[in-house]
Amino acid sequence: MLNIENLLLRLGGNDILKNIDLSVESGEVVSLIGPSGTGKTSLLRCINLLEAPYAGRMTFENDTYDFSKISQRDKLRLRRQTAMVFQQYNLFKNKTVLENVMEAQVLVQKKSKQAAYDESLDQLEKVGLRNKLDSYPARLSGGQQQRVSIARALAVHPSVILFDEPTSALDPELVGEVLHTIRDVAKSGMTILLVTHEMRFAKDISDRVIFMDNGQVEEQGTPEDIFNRSQNPRTRQFLSQFYTPNFEI
Amino acid sequence: MNFEYMLEILPRFFSVIPVTALIIAVSFIAGLLLSVGVTIIRVKKIPVFNRLMDIYLSFTRSAPILLQLFIFYFGIPVLLQAFGIAVTNVEPIVAAIACLVFYNGAFMSEILRPAYLAIDKGQFEAADSLGYTGWQKFSRITMPQLIPIALPGMTNAMIHLIHDSSLIFAIGVVDIMGLANIIGSETYGLYQVEVFLTVAVIYWVISLIFEQLVKLFDKRRRKVLKFEGYTSSEGAG
Ligand SMILES: Nc1ncnc2c1ncn2[C@@H]1O[C@H](COP(=O)(O)OP(=O)(O)OP(=O)(O)O)[C@@H](O)[C@H]1O
Ligand SMILES: [Mg+2]
Repeated sequence: MLNIENLLLRLGGNDILKNIDLSVESGEVVSLIGPSGTGKTSLLRCINLLEAPYAGRMTFENDTYDFSKISQRDKLRLRRQTAMVFQQYNLFKNKTVLENVMEAQVLVQKKSKQAAYDESLDQLEKVGLRNKLDSYPARLSGGQQQRVSIARALAVHPSVILFDEPTSALDPELVGEVLHTIRDVAKSGMTILLVTHEMRFAKDISDRVIFMDNGQVEEQGTPEDIFNRSQNPRTRQFLSQFYTPNFEI
Repeated sequence: MNFEYMLEILPRFFSVIPVTALIIAVSFIAGLLLSVGVTIIRVKKIPVFNRLMDIYLSFTRSAPILLQLFIFYFGIPVLLQAFGIAVTNVEPIVAAIACLVFYNGAFMSEILRPAYLAIDKGQFEAADSLGYTGWQKFSRITMPQLIPIALPGMTNAMIHLIHDSSLIFAIGVVDIMGLANIIGSETYGLYQVEVFLTVAVIYWVISLIFEQLVKLFDKRRRKVLKFEGYTSSEGAG
């Protein structure tokens, strides 16, 4: 469904991502893990075209695009098929919860107001926030804001949802509710690419785990392969800070 | 002090108040539009143009407004001649408006730019990630969030503009100040104090009306900033 070849991203004169190859199947849940500053966020931003890669190709739902010469039209088209959930939620501050979830459907997808409204109620129900329709984001807890932002992402029915450390900015007691919501999204069959530092959660939820280091894909495999059986010294060193894995040596 | 004389001349000013009001309104609106363009060039750092804006801003900042008025008044015909359009003189009011628009295009961009930069970048990225077009992002996210932040600065700009407009009589515009000079010379300078006090009262009333208008907006602005979650002392009250 999503296939990336030879992606090269250069920012401020530095090679941030070097020859990334990545593919995600429809309905697959893929976690991206790796040390800070490795380029996990950057990779998601490239897929969402918030960053402009220097080179590489992306095939998305049978259409192939060349990153270095992507047109404005294709850019909008691609962005409309993906949705991003940000670390800092990034809900529109000047809009209520309902407006946040509704607006893109009406504005971008040209749905009728009624259809968008129904869809929004549906999604807000799923994340447990139907009673907050008229609240402004500033009045919500971080966990609630993140759940609204998940509803906003789901409401446009993207082909893939990109989560960038969705729980990193949250107070510890709020992490659970958001992880719970993401788990529901995963169960619904949605294609997910998730950057996270919640190793236990990644292990639990993922079909596949990708370990990135230094702007490259270092190793990938099933959660078992990565968390329990990895022979890669970089992977093992990285994981050792989280817990002592029971490697089968 | 001759109050009767003040009351006698007051109605004569009613005919020129619209001139001043028109100049202020046109200069403000056109200046604001120009400043939006200037701000876009500066925040997007559009090459070459961005450099030109530096020069433009530095010029308007450093040259006294009276001097800029003279440059416009005497300069426009020269400029037009350079393009093959022969004019010997330009209407003072046209030169005055052109100058005030030019000045405010720069001045107001100094308000809009920091206001734009104060908006959380994540707001734009969220809109981008959902596939908003540039215009959708501008009209739905940027503008509604920028206006409450920029409003105090814009109020300030308006007060500046009202004050600056009192200088345009110097190039021969018959506005409030222009008429005051005419009336003053009719009586050979005998009642200068009365004339200018009358003018002061008129400006005072104009400012009062404007301040009331601002208060109306400001209440709403504070409310908006509060529910958007801004907590600076400038913001929510
Ligand atoms: N605009 C930029 N200009 C230059 N360098 C940048 C820019 N944005 C990010 N970088 C660099 O790119 C590298 C990768 O950053 P990125 O945010 O993708 O890492 P990450 O893996 O998401 O890290 P974290 O786990 O801390 O979120 C970092 O070294 C960062 O300093
Ligand atoms: Mg990151």
